[in-house]
Amino acid sequence: MASIVRPTMLKQSCLKAVSKQAFSTKPASTFPAINKPAASVLSKQVARNAFAKSALPGSMRVAAFHASGRRAILPALPPNDAAKFPTPHPSHGSYHWTFERAISVGLVPLTIAPFAAGSLNPLTDALLCATILIHSHIGFEALIVDYIPTKRLPKTRKTFDWGLKLATVVVGVGLYEFETNDVGLTEGIKRIWTA
Amino acid sequence: MKHSGLQREVLSLYRTCLRESRKKPANTRLHFESYARTEFEKSIGLDKKDFGAIEYLLRKGRRQVDMYSAPGIRDIQ
Amino acid sequence: MAALRTTSRLFAATRPAFKSQIRTRTMATVTGTATSGAVPPSQTTTVKEPAADADSKIKTFHIYRWNPDEPSTKPRMQSYTLDLNKTGPMMLDALIRIKNEVDPTLTFRRSCREGICGSCAMNIDGVNTLACLCRIPTDVKAESKIYPLPHTYVVKDIVPDLTQFYKQYKSIKPYLQKNTPAPDGKEYLQSKEERKKLDGLYECILCACCSTSCPSYWWNSEEYLGPAVLMQSYRWIADSRDEHTEERKAQLDNSMSLYRCHTILNCSRTCPKGLNPGYAIAEIKKAMAL
Repeated sequence: MASIVRPTMLKQSCLKAVSKQAFSTKPASTFPAINKPAASVLSKQVARNAFAKSALPGSMRVAAFHASGRRAILPALPPNDAAKFPTPHPSHGSYHWTFERAISVGLVPLTIAPFAAGSLNPLTDALLCATILIHSHIGFEALIVDYIPTKRLPKTRKTFDWGLKLATVVVGVGLYEFETNDVGLTEGIKRIWTA
Repeated sequence: MKHSGLQREVLSLYRTCLRESRKKPANTRLHFESYARTEFEKSIGLDKKDFGAIEYLLRKGRRQVDMYSAPGIRDIQ
Repeated sequence: MAALRTTSRLFAATRPAFKSQIRTRTMATVTGTATSGAVPPSQTTTVKEPAADADSKIKTFHIYRWNPDEPSTKPRMQSYTLDLNKTGPMMLDALIRIKNEVDPTLTFRRSCREGICGSCAMNIDGVNTLACLCRIPTDVKAESKIYPLPHTYVVKDIVPDLTQFYKQYKSIKPYLQKNTPAPDGKEYLQSKEERKKLDGLYECILCACCSTSCPSYWWNSEEYLGPAVLMQSYRWIADSRDEHTEERKAQLDNSMSLYRCHTILNCSRTCPKGLNPGYAIAEIKKAMAL
């Protein structure tokens, strides 16, 4: 259908361009020197001007080449609309990423230190527990965001989001209990290792 | 009767078609409406469990609506 | 069938010429010419090479076929055998030969046949690549399988629907954005070092091989931009002449657009032009981090 409409509109815009040319004070653009500054300029000047740089902006010089009007022939079709971005949210974007990387990098010395040093410090132990908890929370969160899109499964997504939060809290409480009432994480692993 | 998700999508597509034809000039509106109707009737014999085909036709239909709802298009045969 | 067609053509000729043209045009979007296609699907398992030689190198190609005019029939694989001695060295040559000589209904996109247009991107033997840059393996026993790009809607046979991909490309505003006029009123200059940053980025031809090989993009193509588009985004972020760098970065600053990249690096592995979208995405992340 669109292609049927087009020729008529093309004709209109062509007519428009022709009439514009007829009423303009500029001579017809069949002359090779297209960058004339004003219509009253005589041919002597024109010949010189053809080689000199024109004071006109580039767009106007180019416009003389176009036969059709300046407006678009048909408005852009809807399938060409740009995809929408989700609302920007640095706490979900760059800050989140930086934090995640910092946690991951921090985990490396924290896991090595207590076993390398052989000493049991409740402070490093607590720190290790906290970072592991956050690290795994972020990891599982990424899983949920990847595989349960809000658009297709809004309810499932919500359930899983809250489920993850609950699980993190439960594990956090468990680790706290383990640290305060039992031997602690590092010691626990040591015992399992040697058992 | 309660419709399934896919059935509701088909119905909403047909409703969009009718709504878009309202925006066309009065003398050609009927053409758009009958065109939409014939397009739907072409696949009326489709098995209702043939989800792949229905989803494909839905996508195709949406694309067509996008195309034909452009203001430059004023008539359809 | 042929007799039917001639009568209908005669009938059409009695109408005024312009009207029949309009009629066929609206109808063409729906019915098309597929009903008069060469081979009915029930009989097409293997289409043989016409006139095989004694010392010929016959290779089998399995090609994904699906016709949108019959949406209720399932997609199927069709096999074609070609003599490699009579075929050009590239996969695209084989496809063109099949279309020319064996089955004209086979549909695929192609344009430049030299890896600069990105039209013939498809999944060949499990790897997303350009058919025009992919050599036919000379091992005759191994059969080649050709599919459309994975996780795309199929338009027909091996033609994928890349609408979403192009929409996303448009959304990153892939053009120079300036607020100030050029200092000399003519052009925006760049030093050699600044220009060097764009090497390996500007060569991308947007064939969508990388994006469609990315699992993150498979699951979240509505919101995640995918490697190809992100690499182009970085191409404009890295451009020293562009003045909207901060806005470009701010646009990406959400959980979906950029950060669904988990550095799987399928993109860099599959890129038929040898570019490295994974590295570009990492650079964006670094630029946005602090």
